[in-house]
Amino acid sequence: MKAAVLREANTPLEIEEVSISKPGPREVLVRPVAAGVCHSDLHFMDGSYPYALPTILGHESAGIVEEVGSDVTYVKKGDHVITCLSAFCGHCDQCITGHLSLCASPEVGRMPEEAPRLHKGDETIHQFLNLSSFAELMLIHEHALVKIREDMPMDRAALIGCSTTTGVGAVFHTAGVEPGSNVAVIGCGGVGLAAINGAAIAGAGMIIAVDMVDSKLELAKSLGATHTIDAGQCDAVGEVKELTQGGCHYTFEAIGLKATTEQAWQMLRPGGAATVIGMIPVGTMVELHGVDFLAEKKIQGSNMGSNRFRVDMPRFVDFYLNGKLHLDQMISKHIKLSEVNEALAALKTGQDARHVIMFDQ
Amino acid sequence: MAKVEIPSEVTGNVWKITASVGDTLAADDVIMILESMKMEIPVEAPEAGRLVELLVRVEDGVEEDQVVAVIET
Ligand SMILES: NC(=O)c1ccc[n+]([C@@H]2O[C@H](COP(=O)([O-])OP(=O)(O)OC[C@H]3O[C@@H](n4cnc5c(N)ncnc54)[C@H](O)[C@@H]3O)[C@@H](O)[C@H]2O)c1
Ligand SMILES: [Zn+2]
Ligand SMILES: [Zn+2]
Repeated sequence: MKAAVLREANTPLEIEEVSISKPGPREVLVRPVAAGVCHSDLHFMDGSYPYALPTILGHESAGIVEEVGSDVTYVKKGDHVITCLSAFCGHCDQCITGHLSLCASPEVGRMPEEAPRLHKGDETIHQFLNLSSFAELMLIHEHALVKIREDMPMDRAALIGCSTTTGVGAVFHTAGVEPGSNVAVIGCGGVGLAAINGAAIAGAGMIIAVDMVDSKLELAKSLGATHTIDAGQCDAVGEVKELTQGGCHYTFEAIGLKATTEQAWQMLRPGGAATVIGMIPVGTMVELHGVDFLAEKKIQGSNMGSNRFRVDMPRFVDFYLNGKLHLDQMISKHIKLSEVNEALAALKTGQDARHVIMFDQ
Repeated sequence: MAKVEIPSEVTGNVWKITASVGDTLAADDVIMILESMKMEIPVEAPEAGRLVELLVRVEDGVEEDQVVAVIET
């Protein structure tokens, strides 16, 4: 099969012919139909996050089941599925206590002594986040996918695989935004726009979108932002405090920078909670003013929207199909696998929302 | 000859050890792969040298900044 392989950080992905194993007892072979290009892929490509190489990036996809392992009963050949990197074992203490997205059990991947899922001759190709979706086939654990209705368009479904679940999930599950509360979202890419849409569904009062690209702020309005702030033109913290007369109940950082994480904290009203979604480069420290803790401000991380994706993703599909979740505007461009490097480069400019790879069927 | 301690950049578990004590390593050669929040994160030699100590075993948990290996340059 063809796949986009990262061999060295800061070099383009190369389209190579790669081999994929047969499904083990609890594995499923999926033929992706569509795969979104997320900023997290870029973080690993540019080395701000290290990863075992060579690897095949990509982690936001929807596809069709091609073959199932001997013990798999949940799906069968032909089923439509969304994949999710939050593969859960189902029996560790995180899973049992309802924190499936924090499961760290290695059993959802293959053990070092087993043949790798992906290889090229004798060379192991490391699977990226248990998925590797920039490839014509994916071999994943049965707990890394969810079945969806077949009337859901696959390109929109792919977005639910990461950005929707991350952004909407951060609002619903991690933060628990209540109706009427004021929200600010810093960064209006695929993830931040999903958080804005999620805040609108949750019934937030003010929804303040912060970005530095005009077209993104326009898009944010069409997804439910009530106010927009161009952070390149003004002091975003001061503007948010003025608009809300003292700060937000909830803020979300959806970029992955020290400065904007600190802004998310500063934009809070006393008692408010900041949720950091962006992937801040490994080794970077964040500074908070200690006295602010007396105001009972809170700050927390969110991994994949604290999801329970087998329940969440079919709901998000319904939200799309009944008009609540606006995924059509999120797709700036459909591309081919061979154009993946251009899509990664476009993420650096912040001009587009999502590029989605469509595979030849 | 200087000893260089190699810390883990993240909290996670040792998934696989790919080098052995006594191996001669070039800069950026992978010594082990950690698993942290679904990511396979390599621990690499910061410079060329000989691996003289491995301080963790497969499946051990490691903390951020914990020294996991020592090389002699
Ligand atoms: N925690 C998780 O589980 C998770 C999951 C997916 C993505 N992420 C992370 O979320 C972040 C966003 O991902 P994305 O795919 O939406 O990215 P993106 O590149 O599509 O969007 C980032 C947006 O931020 C804007 N921006 C950049 N610098 C800014 C600044 N200083 N002030 C205001 N706006 C600024 C850009 O214009 C762009 O619109 C990334 O760090 C990504 O790795 C985290
Ligand atoms: Zn992503
Ligand atoms: Zn588990």
